[in-house]
Amino acid sequence: MSDNGFFGSFGGKYVAEVLRRPLDELEDAFNRATIDAAFLEELRLLQRDFIGRPTPLYFAENATKALGGAQIFIKMEGLAHTGAHKINNALGQALLAKTMGKTRIIAETGAGQHGLATAAACAKLGMPCEVFMGEVDIRRQQPNVAAMEMYGAKVIAVKSGSKTLKDAINEAMRDWAAQFDTTHYVIGSALGPAPFPDMVRFFQSVIGKEVQEQSKERKLDVAALCACVGGGSNAIGFFSPFIEKKEPRLIGAEAGGIGPGPNENAVRMSGSAAKDGIVHGYKSRFLLDEDGQVAETRSISAGLDYPGIGPQLASLGLSGRIEFRAITDEKALEALQFFARQEGILFAMESAHAGAVAMQMAKEIPANKAIIINMSGRGDKDIFITSPVFRPVEWELFLQSELDRLHQGVDIHYAKALPSAQKNEGNR
Amino acid sequence: MSNQNQVQLMAHLVAGYPNLAISLSVADALVQGGASFLEIQLAFSDPSADGPAIQTACASTLAKGFTTKKGFEFIAEVNQRHPNIPLFLMTYASLAYAPGIESFIKKAKEVGVKGVIIPDLPFDQDEGLIAACQKNGIAYIPVAAPSMTPERLHKMTQAKFTYIYAALRAGITGSKTTIDDQTLRFLDAVASGGAKVLGGFGVRTGEQTKSLSNHVYAVVAGSVFINEITAHYNPQNEVESKIKIASAIEAKAKEIIGG
Ligand SMILES: Cc1ncc(COP(=O)(O)O)c(C=O)c1O
Repeated sequence: MSDNGFFGSFGGKYVAEVLRRPLDELEDAFNRATIDAAFLEELRLLQRDFIGRPTPLYFAENATKALGGAQIFIKMEGLAHTGAHKINNALGQALLAKTMGKTRIIAETGAGQHGLATAAACAKLGMPCEVFMGEVDIRRQQPNVAAMEMYGAKVIAVKSGSKTLKDAINEAMRDWAAQFDTTHYVIGSALGPAPFPDMVRFFQSVIGKEVQEQSKERKLDVAALCACVGGGSNAIGFFSPFIEKKEPRLIGAEAGGIGPGPNENAVRMSGSAAKDGIVHGYKSRFLLDEDGQVAETRSISAGLDYPGIGPQLASLGLSGRIEFRAITDEKALEALQFFARQEGILFAMESAHAGAVAMQMAKEIPANKAIIINMSGRGDKDIFITSPVFRPVEWELFLQSELDRLHQGVDIHYAKALPSAQKNEGNR
Repeated sequence: MSNQNQVQLMAHLVAGYPNLAISLSVADALVQGGASFLEIQLAFSDPSADGPAIQTACASTLAKGFTTKKGFEFIAEVNQRHPNIPLFLMTYASLAYAPGIESFIKKAKEVGVKGVIIPDLPFDQDEGLIAACQKNGIAYIPVAAPSMTPERLHKMTQAKFTYIYAALRAGITGSKTTIDDQTLRFLDAVASGGAKVLGGFGVRTGEQTKSLSNHVYAVVAGSVFINEITAHYNPQNEVESKIKIASAIEAKAKEIIGG
């Protein structure tokens, strides 16, 4: 728990006065919910039946052999309903909002996974849902936009600023400031003003608790936990039961993007570019220019493409309890392919950053010890990002002919075969 | 000062919008139109308390290479032209925190700033802003909101701030505000500790000003001027834009004051 909203010097409630009361009321409601047996039981059943918990802790035997070092385990959060850990928090907050008597839910989303999770939770709980999403992210994560709309959510394109996650947060804050009487803002990561960092960790800590039990059951000697860190919700939830202990090593993978230069990555902890700042209602480490303007970031994964980091992780990074490593787009893609080929498991681009860290470390750690990767999400959503990389020609032909077919209104049964598919036919 | 039953106007502008030259003439026009105070906003990349008009103005300003240094130079210039008009600086925490609150406020003092409004540095989480202001003889101006609990509002009004900015409604800058009895009761509560109340958020018309006049020290208007600038700015013709904007701004200021 934070000390009155602070983790060391980070955290706080740096918000305009208008948002102070809604935050204080939320904090009260959250504190009551954490000791309310009825609330916790309802949450537990929804976690079991709706989310599909516990998620497996999977021994990646082939990967372990191929890497030749520590035993590699994967916590399969990607098997949670809607495909990522995001549902743990979205469902928890939506349920809390309902008990508070709120009748409308808003959320921001980057990769779309949090928006998707919130949309599904709202459908389940019978609450209207609006999701703010940057225009850039709407383009790069289109499959999730389609799914959110399928669940009945309204996706609102954010056109301000860099048109990505940070701007979607601003827009959600603005909406909330005008309508907090009826509306709860479900923040998607362990950031923002207090009580959000504590609350998001609380709902995500189910990951770490399961890992703790599962590794005890199998008598694993766990040397390290690896998680990717955007805002930090999957990481803090995964790490939470171990934070106060000396072991295992806790390692956060940040987006190394296309390189170490300014605006080429989202490295807040492992490099020297970030500084202390106050943005989005909390104090933490941010990528800022000299004046304090928020810098543009870059990552192949929308979910890690964010200039700040949750205050608790930042504090634990400075204290040395959590180590951070930057993983480039290229390394993340390699990890994605490695685990897909070795294990038949497709990581989300974000989670592949954590996979890459485990690949780097495996050899340094003896074979009687385990490394656990949190696969925060599965990679189905990234098909528009990975296809142009791994099968550019086929992908382009597919998109083009699909568009032609749509324009011509031809049923799939009568459409011309794909040019590349014809070629392959001969080879088989 | 203006006569008894005429309300004072604190006019808001974004330094450097639509460009440095024209925004200087905007400041002139606001004063010409009767503004008693100017609230000068330094553009921030993530203005989460602002509506679309001010967001767009800030983004455009930053895209043209605005820096805090240029902002301070702008304020110094406005101060030189209008030494009798108190200048209040508005921005977000990040811009004050990055260079260090102390040095930011010292710099503000040097260029003639009389007060600062930084909504995301509230009075009980101010990072030393209040002390820095006191040391430099600048007013820290907190922003009160109708959603505050009575206890918290009381704490603010009893804290001996010279000015309190009162946001007339929840939400963000820009969209129109209806002023009703509840608004006026809120304003009176804000004034109850003796602070001079600057009331704003969605003020666009002389009518609104009139209904506020007995309850505020000054009305604040901002987005309405930004909209005038945006409507009359033609990047193809700077000279003509400057003239058109100046006359539109002056007229709008007069209209809002009701003079
Ligand atoms: C699959 C997945 N992993 C990780 C993240 C990063 O968020 P966080 O750092 O809060 O876990 C996202 C965010 O969208 C995501 O979709």
